[in-house]
Amino acid sequence: MVASLNYLFKRVFYSVFIVIGIIVVTYLLIILSPGDPAARWAGNPRGPGAEKAIEFARVELNLDKPLYLQVILFIYNVLTGNLGVSISTKTPVLTAIWTHMSSTLELLIFAYIIGIPIGVLLGVFSSLRRGSFKGDVLESIGFIVANTPSFWTGMALFLVFSEVLGVSSYGRIDTRLATIMGFKPITGFYLIDTLIQGNIILFFDVLKRLIPPAIVVSLYPIGTGIRVVRVLMSEALSEDYVKQAIALGVSRRTVIWDYAFKGIIPGLTQVMGLSFVYSLVDAMVVEYVFGREGLGSLLVGAVVSNDFKLAVATLIIISSFYIIANTITDIVQAWIDPRVKL
Amino acid sequence: MRRLLLVSLIVMIVVAGGAAYYLSTRQASIQPRVLVYAYNDKITGIDPSLEDDTGLVVLGSVYEPLLYYDPLRNQTIPALAESWESKENNTVWIFHLRKGVVFHDNSPFNSTAVVISVLRAKEVYEKYGVGLGYIWDSVEDVKALDDYTVEFKLKYPQRLDLIAASSYAAYIFNPNALAKAGVSDYTDLKLRDWFNKGADEGTGPYMIESYDPYNQVVLVKFDKWWGWSMVRNDKAPDKVVIKIKTDPQDQYNGLISGELDIVTSVPRVSIQDLVNKGFKELRINTFHSYFLVFNTRRYPTNITEFRLAVLYSIPWDRIVDQAMKGYALLGSGYVPHGFPGFVEGLSFKQNLTLARIYLEKSGVKPGVTIEFMYQSDYPEEEDFASILKTSLAEIGVNVKIIPSTWESIKEAGKSVWDNPDNTPHLLINDWWPTIISPYDYLYNLFHGESKEWNWSGYDNQTFNQLIDEAFALEGSDYGKAMELYREAQETLFNNAVAVNLWDEVKVFVYNPRVTLPSSAVNPLYMYVIFYQYVQVA
Repeated sequence: MVASLNYLFKRVFYSVFIVIGIIVVTYLLIILSPGDPAARWAGNPRGPGAEKAIEFARVELNLDKPLYLQVILFIYNVLTGNLGVSISTKTPVLTAIWTHMSSTLELLIFAYIIGIPIGVLLGVFSSLRRGSFKGDVLESIGFIVANTPSFWTGMALFLVFSEVLGVSSYGRIDTRLATIMGFKPITGFYLIDTLIQGNIILFFDVLKRLIPPAIVVSLYPIGTGIRVVRVLMSEALSEDYVKQAIALGVSRRTVIWDYAFKGIIPGLTQVMGLSFVYSLVDAMVVEYVFGREGLGSLLVGAVVSNDFKLAVATLIIISSFYIIANTITDIVQAWIDPRVKL
Repeated sequence: MRRLLLVSLIVMIVVAGGAAYYLSTRQASIQPRVLVYAYNDKITGIDPSLEDDTGLVVLGSVYEPLLYYDPLRNQTIPALAESWESKENNTVWIFHLRKGVVFHDNSPFNSTAVVISVLRAKEVYEKYGVGLGYIWDSVEDVKALDDYTVEFKLKYPQRLDLIAASSYAAYIFNPNALAKAGVSDYTDLKLRDWFNKGADEGTGPYMIESYDPYNQVVLVKFDKWWGWSMVRNDKAPDKVVIKIKTDPQDQYNGLISGELDIVTSVPRVSIQDLVNKGFKELRINTFHSYFLVFNTRRYPTNITEFRLAVLYSIPWDRIVDQAMKGYALLGSGYVPHGFPGFVEGLSFKQNLTLARIYLEKSGVKPGVTIEFMYQSDYPEEEDFASILKTSLAEIGVNVKIIPSTWESIKEAGKSVWDNPDNTPHLLINDWWPTIISPYDYLYNLFHGESKEWNWSGYDNQTFNQLIDEAFALEGSDYGKAMELYREAQETLFNNAVAVNLWDEVKVFVYNPRVTLPSSAVNPLYMYVIFYQYVQVA
């Protein structure tokens, strides 16, 4: 317990420095790139007072101060929880980030709920069929689905659903129906929000729109699952304790799931944890194809419009997500496998 | 047995879900009329006095000015003011306000609201430069004569009716907003921040129900709007969702999937395909013009003859079809078609012989390379870039094409004043007006004092004086003012400082369940749809 707390404390301590590093680098990159955030904040002013408006905006945004002071002030504001307002929309960046992040996370989590069991089951099946045609086909499938560009698969699946099956998978929710029924986001996770509001119709609508992009995002964990489980299970099945269990006449199902599979869970957790983090990028691409709002569109929009406050804040959140996901993976691994020390 | 139970449970859930879905869809058919309109940019703010960009798409339905501009008749029409008159050579204007109008919080609209709205836009601009309050520059004093009469005294003669119909900085808001925002001074910028959180203090036909500037804004019909009895449209949408869809392909997908009712920015090449699929289109000639601007402070585009050589090389009869896929009018002069001050016949025609003569006169040797920067996410500018490169190759001028973001182009454009040698030789700048005057285009894009938007670096005292004089004359001698604007445009044309490439034709593509009459759009109020005229089946 003490060791775990120490570990967490260390992780948080190092993470602060990582986040500060990200703030400094991103702030400098955006501020020094072409474009004037002050002009954007001032609304790209016109008329005889345009220059005055930009100078005033420079003061409001602290951009009139030396660069090192701007960075220090920005870090101070972030660490004291003041992420400020977007210079494009003049609304709080935290609200914007939460709205978009909840959409991305909903997609990602749902994709992994689909992806992990399928990947694991197929991986186990493939490992039991090593050397056979079925096993090789499964391994190839794992390789292909893990490496196919998600943009392409997303486009293909979107067309299949909308043009062939006639099922709309566009957006997160039927805007018209949601407006008619007075749907109001609460947590930002629409599956949960529709249930909280007792709206089963919209729940199914959200689910219907979530499944196709989630299938695309799940392809990576499925592919990775197949390949990793196949390798780990193959090794586990040739371990002495497994052979001994077989010799003792333990049932096939018990040998596979209670002996061999349990042994690979720590390794699998680590790989899946990393793949979850990686899939964030996939989700950001896929949501674009399916017309869903999310962190991807938010970040791209912020960078293009020189919205340094929003861009830096979004990157902080994304990097924090990476750090948190890795930390959770480590903790879960240590919890499952007593041999792993934090 | 367990398996059977599980299968039964799944079947029950699916059937229950399906039944609920079916029932709700039936129920939905007798529910409010909802219109979903896709707009192509995030909302930059909704302060009725200070917003100067994309917020117009929301403000246009929530707030109202004193007057609207009718581009077909080139005259103003009543909005919150029922009638108006001017005296003393257009230096005193009196507006008689509409009675019985209420704001969205049911408080009455009166003269005080007009006075505060105008003064706020004007004084915040004077104090901080924020917003577009310069449109009220001529106003020396504005006061309420009674609850429904407002008098403006001007510093110089001005067509204040046209100013009052401006697309920005002319909306009237509820003075109660100050108390709600916790400020006592209307120039306090906390009021701006308060508005931008999603506040609604207008009188317009629609109210803001929810505001998310990145994703969607939901408007709801304001039943107490004064104009419903005149519009008599019982099929007007009860709710409008302005959906932010920045990507043209995304808009296309949304339209064909039935999620979006009206789109404005689908890829131009797909418009005909959509029409063939049964969607409808409404075209309007906009006041949104694209200018090809020369850097007049850098060799060789600082030489007039060289600029003329470039302009005579371009196949002007092809650019609208090739770059804009036919959805534009070839520019003429420096204000768009249909806008006051438009001049017919101020356009170039391709003439390679003349181009070569001018090139020789310029003293610039063939083989010279010039830079052209364009906005990479505008396919029409990319197409124009390739036309430009090919056509200039005909006279031996190489073009280095620099695709870039709008932010970078603006940065490069305005650097012409301080660092002309680092500014590309050619840029594209697009413009749409705030006030109904050629001065809006000519001042911002070509006046020597306009350092933010004049990307040519052109500073010609004669030209500056001409347009300043014309603007000053608009109030007392409108005809003479238009003559001077014409002369000013001829000066620009003869000096080949820039050229108006095209005036965009905006296409609204919409689902046939919607009726979108031409009265629902107005080129001065870009992208605004006047939903009170729209019918939803």
